[in-house]
Amino acid sequence: MKIHVDRKLCDNHGQCTITAPSVFRIDESGILQYDENVDDSLRSDIEDSMDVCPVQAIFIVDEN
Amino acid sequence: MSSTTEAPYFNISDPAFAMHSEEVRSARERSWYARTNYGIAVLRYAQVSQLLKDQRLSQGSGQWPAHNGVHSGLFYDWWTTCLLVLEGEDHHRIRRLVNPAFAPRHIEPLIPRFHALAEELVEAYAASGRCEFVADFAEPYATRVLCILLGIPESEWPTIARLASTIGLALGVTINDELPTIEDALGELFRYAEDLIIDRQQNPQDDFITRLVEANKDGESLNDAELRNALVLMIFGGMDTTRNQLGLGIQSFLHNPEQWALLGDRPELGKAATEEVMRTNPTTTWVTREAVTTFEYEGLTIEKGTTVHLFTQTSGTDPMAFPDPEMDIEGEHAPHYGFGGGIHHCLGHFVARADMTVAYPILARRMRDMKLGGVDEWLPDSGNTGPVRLPLTFTPAP
Repeated sequence: MKIHVDRKLCDNHGQCTITAPSVFRIDESGILQYDENVDDSLRSDIEDSMDVCPVQAIFIVDEN
Repeated sequence: MSSTTEAPYFNISDPAFAMHSEEVRSARERSWYARTNYGIAVLRYAQVSQLLKDQRLSQGSGQWPAHNGVHSGLFYDWWTTCLLVLEGEDHHRIRRLVNPAFAPRHIEPLIPRFHALAEELVEAYAASGRCEFVADFAEPYATRVLCILLGIPESEWPTIARLASTIGLALGVTINDELPTIEDALGELFRYAEDLIIDRQQNPQDDFITRLVEANKDGESLNDAELRNALVLMIFGGMDTTRNQLGLGIQSFLHNPEQWALLGDRPELGKAATEEVMRTNPTTTWVTREAVTTFEYEGLTIEKGTTVHLFTQTSGTDPMAFPDPEMDIEGEHAPHYGFGGGIHHCLGHFVARADMTVAYPILARRMRDMKLGGVDEWLPDSGNTGPVRLPLTFTPAP
């Protein structure tokens, strides 16, 4: 599946790095980096990341 | 400005220390930080935003009891091992397990009950045109919302309120004097939480505590003590802060009566009103961090072990980030840090946001021309602040 983080909303809190550490990470400048293409086996971790994001900036864009 | 000798100084344990003061505003204009009797205070939005999420800083509240002369005992043991102050893998494991219970999709179905509760509480005093806001609204509302969330009978709210308020004394500078009372209340809340856990283990329901009891994912789980400690933290953290924040919102609207009138006419501004209250008048006036390593930041050497207070209200009203920093529920504003930030971002913020978004427009609709109706009494600004007593008068409206 494909995911998208809305950079206008993202405030780099890093909650998603706790729920899905293999997909989301905070770089040395404190900015969120992530993989757009995520294996379907991680769907539940991505959904937890969407739930927990304080600014609700994470979206699944490709349901195929 | 980068040398410590030129930085402003605040005594933040002085009960008279005031966040909304010319002293703090002029310090923020001169310098991004101030020295304090417990380390440094960060005053400006840009630096608070960065340092909140900076991984060279850990959550610093673990030192709070020790800073105030408390080094052992029931409160010390609970506080220094609860989610609020944990770091690293233990923090992440517990946070992963408790997070889903706070998801917006679990909160949304409760909103009609928050509505009914707010209307019921206002209805009880509205005709008189007076209330004591803390006792008549903020305390029962915050506590009963928590009961609704956790699946505890709402009739038990006075017990929960009493225990959470007593434990809240631990966040004041008088913690050491109050310790026996605080520990009695904590012991009672432990037993209460243990009974709830045993009940849900035997009678699972579709509720919050059952979700925690059943939290077990990818081989991770909460042990019994962690589950109890987390539940006690939620009861304590969910009630005391929300009660205080509701009262601080009323204080903000007393200073901005035209905004109150507007909110009474336009309930859809409830969400914006909540955000503006959190930005300009948060109960958690600072978020505490501690340097895990010595590092350079904006020309200042921050030594390992330094306590760093990130001032939330001061950052939320910084003219460099908010050119017109006054409360404006119709305006567009940068995000605020009234719920902290980074990996320790407030766990319950969706609940707090939802219950205030419901409450403020109902209060504004029914309590027109709201004014201070007697002598008010407040906690000190340091730590978590809020009203102890807030008498109001108003013109009742349906």
